[in-house]
Amino acid sequence: MKNILWMQTGSCSGDSMALLCAERPALEGLLDHFGARLLWHPSLTAETRFGPVLEAVTTGRERLDILCIEGSLLTGPNGSGLYDTWKSRPKIDIVRALAECAEQVVAMGTCAAFGGVHAAPPNPTDCMGLQFMQTTPGGLLGQNWRGKHGLPVINVAGCPAHPNTMAKVLAMLLEDAPIALDDLNRPAAFFSTMVHQGCTRNEYHEYDAEDDVLGGRGCLFFSLGCRGPLTAAPCNADLWNGQSSKTRAGVPCFGCTSPSFPADRDLFATPRIGAVPKALPLGVSRARYMAYKNLAKAAAPERIVERKMEP
Amino acid sequence: MSRITVDIDLNRVEGDLELQVDVEEGVIVDARCIGTLYRGFEQILIGRAPRDALVITPRVCGICGTAHLYAAVRALEQLAGINPPRHAGHIRNLCLMAETLQSDLRQTFLFFTPDFCHPSYAGHPMADVIARAFAPFKGRVARGALEASRNVLKLVAIFGGQWPHSSYMVPGGVTLPATGNRLLEAKDVLARVRAWMEQDVIGDDLDTWLAVPSGPELFTWLESVPAHRDGGLGLFSRFARSIGLHTLGRGSPHLLSFGLSPTPNGSRALAPGFFNGDTCRVEPLDQPRINEHVSHSWFLDYPGGRHPWQGETIPDHKPDARHYSWAKAPRYSDKVVQTGPLAELRVGAEPLITNLLSAEGDNTWLRQFARLRRATWVLRSMQETLSALGGCLDEPHFVDPKVGKWPDGQSYGLVEAARGALGHWVRIEDGRIAKYQIVTPTAWNASPRDSQDQPGHWEQSLIGLRIPDIDDPVQVGHIVRSHDPCLVCTVHFIGQARKTYACV
Repeated sequence: MKNILWMQTGSCSGDSMALLCAERPALEGLLDHFGARLLWHPSLTAETRFGPVLEAVTTGRERLDILCIEGSLLTGPNGSGLYDTWKSRPKIDIVRALAECAEQVVAMGTCAAFGGVHAAPPNPTDCMGLQFMQTTPGGLLGQNWRGKHGLPVINVAGCPAHPNTMAKVLAMLLEDAPIALDDLNRPAAFFSTMVHQGCTRNEYHEYDAEDDVLGGRGCLFFSLGCRGPLTAAPCNADLWNGQSSKTRAGVPCFGCTSPSFPADRDLFATPRIGAVPKALPLGVSRARYMAYKNLAKAAAPERIVERKMEP
Repeated sequence: MSRITVDIDLNRVEGDLELQVDVEEGVIVDARCIGTLYRGFEQILIGRAPRDALVITPRVCGICGTAHLYAAVRALEQLAGINPPRHAGHIRNLCLMAETLQSDLRQTFLFFTPDFCHPSYAGHPMADVIARAFAPFKGRVARGALEASRNVLKLVAIFGGQWPHSSYMVPGGVTLPATGNRLLEAKDVLARVRAWMEQDVIGDDLDTWLAVPSGPELFTWLESVPAHRDGGLGLFSRFARSIGLHTLGRGSPHLLSFGLSPTPNGSRALAPGFFNGDTCRVEPLDQPRINEHVSHSWFLDYPGGRHPWQGETIPDHKPDARHYSWAKAPRYSDKVVQTGPLAELRVGAEPLITNLLSAEGDNTWLRQFARLRRATWVLRSMQETLSALGGCLDEPHFVDPKVGKWPDGQSYGLVEAARGALGHWVRIEDGRIAKYQIVTPTAWNASPRDSQDQPGHWEQSLIGLRIPDIDDPVQVGHIVRSHDPCLVCTVHFIGQARKTYACV
């Protein structure tokens, strides 16, 4: 049995709502079969007051195995943290205190990992993630912070984080399974897939059949802002709500697992050099990509050119 | 007479909730709702491309992002004079209703009914049966609601890719058409959710239940057979009334709804409007009557109220007794209103809720009961909308509005979200967002006092309450949770001194 404390800071509660959508395992499965004991969750636990739980953990009466933080850490105004308080106490102070007691700390969602939507310019609340401010290491706890177990904050990035990824990371922690992290401290097992992999518009991309307006069947990468080929996330490998993904539904990937989400530009337009996106699929050289695209376009079958394939 | 002030924080709501109540001899004589979180969305939107609102504003709220997306797209379509095709309208309405049903199930069975398992009810004759149904994560109905709420959201994913936080409603329509395949997937989802609702929540056929027309017939129906008595709805209702929740928590008599019209021909629509509690009549909705007051909020004061297009939001933290919240106080014709399923069904003249409201007035049981009634109403409408969608698969789901540069101007988008009336007001200048103002349902319900010193709806609903145990005020929990608070949504649209934009 391991104790989990879930705390919300500057958040929309979307990661909590996504967690309720997890199916493999489901939240109730974590409680029934993986030995999770939910000490506190702002929306879900029967206890009605946070104070006694906070006191039990910080005095060491209750062991804190897994601390989940959902939301950006708001340090404003003027470093006071008063944009986000619990009983007049800045939440950032409570997070710091709880992190010192925790075996493992998990950032649930891009806000707690990197700052997220609230850190978009002009970052009105002076917010940040737990160990990153967007791409810069540091954040609220500092780059060198480690949990009692020895790991940095595990960044389950996403806006919201993928339901099954959250549940599986919790299950791995509950089972003491080793968790390898990538260079952004995201659990590598779930961030070694690009959103592009498994997208049902892939064949359109393959033959350079790109859409200029929304609502079509083609690929969204060249014109409509899609970041699928640049974004590490399992969205098309482990479908959302067991059904689909944004790109399958014709919505561009906005790169929400990335530290710089949301991009500071028109989100439905792709910045380009000439006819080719400025940011190419991860690791691809421009000259070779352009050569490939020219050949691909010439090889495109009629069923692709005429958009006959339903994504 | 001793007067003490008690700070109360509560969970099992969306976000963190803090209240301050003044108690004299065991009775609440004054109450203040305190907004404790500011996220700065309005600042983030200023200067961005108009369509970015379709990505940014759903992230205001994790439980009603679809409603924000819908409000944002309506505001942009109004600005540019775009009429989306009905194929898109059906899909938008289906997704909105799926989100509403999800929210109603989670709010009722994950947030509200766990309070019935409170230790102070251990001696209640229904305690065992309540625990078997409603114990968090364990009770039969609680477990079923977890699964059903997951299932119904599959419908949003079928058409929109994912829930929460997708952006498939775009000016001109939706990004993905319905096909025979998707239609069948959606039908299957709804059939399963309906089967669970009929089996474990209603204990009867959905249509039979929705035909119950009045309070007396409801109470007869509730007691008539074990399936009605012991379904989630029957247990909730019987227990809630046995502990007197139908006598507690009367708030504002004025009701506001932005309405729901799930089918384009308007059959079975819940009309938008304002129920005037003084005259007991429904008046047509008149958007310019909406204004916001800041007299008790931490903003630079202005006299009276201002319409969202004219709003001014300059933070001015004054640590005195008069000012106590980061939330503004929205008013309709300067009246305090409540919004949510009770308002939606009464303004829309749904017979059962109309009858119950006139018989007993608004109360804690009725607000929560109306939420369950609305969930079932929405479920039936979703099946009807899905049929209508099946009839227009050959029509376009998206018509390119060919907007190169967005025109200058101001517009609004109004949507009835799960928690009630949600409005987005936007101003575009030079092709960019120059102002964005959101008034959420909880902003209406949880508002502080206004410039006429009228307490907000929640505040009113607590004043006069007798609380036997000041350290564990379980009745306060019932009343406040019956309002379905969404605190994450409420107080995020204020300006900031460091970067103040010109707000006329």
